Amino acid sequence: MTSQPIPPSSLPSFSKASEPMIKVEGLRKSFNGREVLKGISFEVFPGEMLAIIGPSGCGKSTLLKLITGLLEPDAGKITLNSEQIGLVFQGSALLNSLTVRENLALALRERKLPKREQDKAIMEDLTLVGLADYIDSFPTQLSGGQQKRTSFARAIVNDPQIILYDEPTTGLDPVMSTVIEDYMIELEKQLHAAGIVVTHQFSTWTRTAHRAILLNQGVVVWEGKPHEALNSTNPYIIQFAKATREGPMLAGKV
Amino acid sequence: MQASDAKKLAASPYLLVEDWVSIGVRLAGQVGIVIAKTFYYLLRLQIDWQESIRQAYFIGVKSFLIVSLTALFTGLAMSLQIAIQLVQFGGESAIGGVVSLALIRQIGPITAAIIVAGRVGSSIAAELTTMNVSEQIDALKVMRIDPIKFLVVPRFVGAMMMMPVLSIYAMFIGIFAGMVIALVYADVSFGVFLDSAKAMVIDQDFFVHFLKAFINAAIVIFYSCAIGLNTRGGAADVGNAVTRSVVWSMTVMFIVNYIVTDLTYEGPR
Repeated sequence: MTSQPIPPSSLPSFSKASEPMIKVEGLRKSFNGREVLKGISFEVFPGEMLAIIGPSGCGKSTLLKLITGLLEPDAGKITLNSEQIGLVFQGSALLNSLTVRENLALALRERKLPKREQDKAIMEDLTLVGLADYIDSFPTQLSGGQQKRTSFARAIVNDPQIILYDEPTTGLDPVMSTVIEDYMIELEKQLHAAGIVVTHQFSTWTRTAHRAILLNQGVVVWEGKPHEALNSTNPYIIQFAKATREGPMLAGKV
Repeated sequence: MQASDAKKLAASPYLLVEDWVSIGVRLAGQVGIVIAKTFYYLLRLQIDWQESIRQAYFIGVKSFLIVSLTALFTGLAMSLQIAIQLVQFGGESAIGGVVSLALIRQIGPITAAIIVAGRVGSSIAAELTTMNVSEQIDALKVMRIDPIKFLVVPRFVGAMMMMPVLSIYAMFIGIFAGMVIALVYADVSFGVFLDSAKAMVIDQDFFVHFLKAFINAAIVIFYSCAIGLNTRGGAADVGNAVTRSVVWSMTVMFIVNYIVTDLTYEGPR
């Protein structure tokens, strides 16, 4: 554990009075006869950040791909109240043949903005993530952390109402992880978008999310506020949060 | 042959054949989708011309040296074989016609296409598979950019611009090689060589030449793109995609080359 959970009051507030921005009902998905998601349901409201946590292979990334439409569910329903979606990929997924500027411009293509407005939006976003000086660099000329920040800038350049993060801090050093988490919190304040962060990094889900759901073998085994996790009596979240071998998660696997 | 293929072959050769047929049918379906979507965008003139010209440079200009060498040596070898045979029967004056006809209808288009399949098709398959593996294709889809419009259409347009040029260039290099061989081995002057070529070659032969060039370009681009866009996994899968792209492009090209030759043949049967 690299940092203590911050109190929920540090995150921007949100209200459940409005319609949920993301509504997932009874989602099921199988690959080669193996059911990865077994009837998942949840809602995310504007301004709320939901963390989907769980061990590797529990279906977290599949869930994001279903929400973004990259995969089709076998059963269940996903309702999104906005078409403006930003996705930060685990591996950044920047197009290597394009510069940072061109990568961001790609995200703005659909809006057909005049060149001056497009350049302004790109520069504002790159300034926000501290990469204005790298606007004409190619992704291969950037460090891992810089690529991740560029991926952030690309995800938010369209002012999305829904923002999704796939393992945003995996593979980064602790300092860069904190920087990325700070960007996520800052974005929550600025965009007031509904967000989902898929992660297994303790610091990330406890610092950036209002609520978390823990997946294990395709089902939700715990749901609650991150700061309540360590005080819970649920054996799954206790094992996951404390990162111990003892518990129900590795049963039959060791 | 992969380990799984070896096991199937040991169990029953029919299993392996069944596997290959199923892979071929699935690939044909993937290629069909790529073709349909590409023409959908082409008919609506949704073409990124700047990227298409960049692709044309990569596909065409950067292939000139290797096409020159392969066309030169293919032309030399083929002309030498033809010259030796015709000299034995006193048919030196026909060398120009036979060599030119073979180069225009068969060797020119297929030589250029083999080089493009090896150099460009493999590179496209590797690039697109890597983009798939590293989620760059998913990123395009999330931004509501159709990868076929963004990646396939410019490559197809670039290939269509350059393949006929490469093909006709390969033909001229081959004919030049034939003229040199005819002069050195059969004492046939350049003038006699060209007169023989003019007498035997008709406009229809050039039509066949360009038809084959366009079809070969389409086969290389569509197969390499379909394979690249539908391959996921890791580093080994990138290598497999490259191999499959070259093998399938060339196999289909040779089959279609025969079909076009047969359909456009106008002489006695």
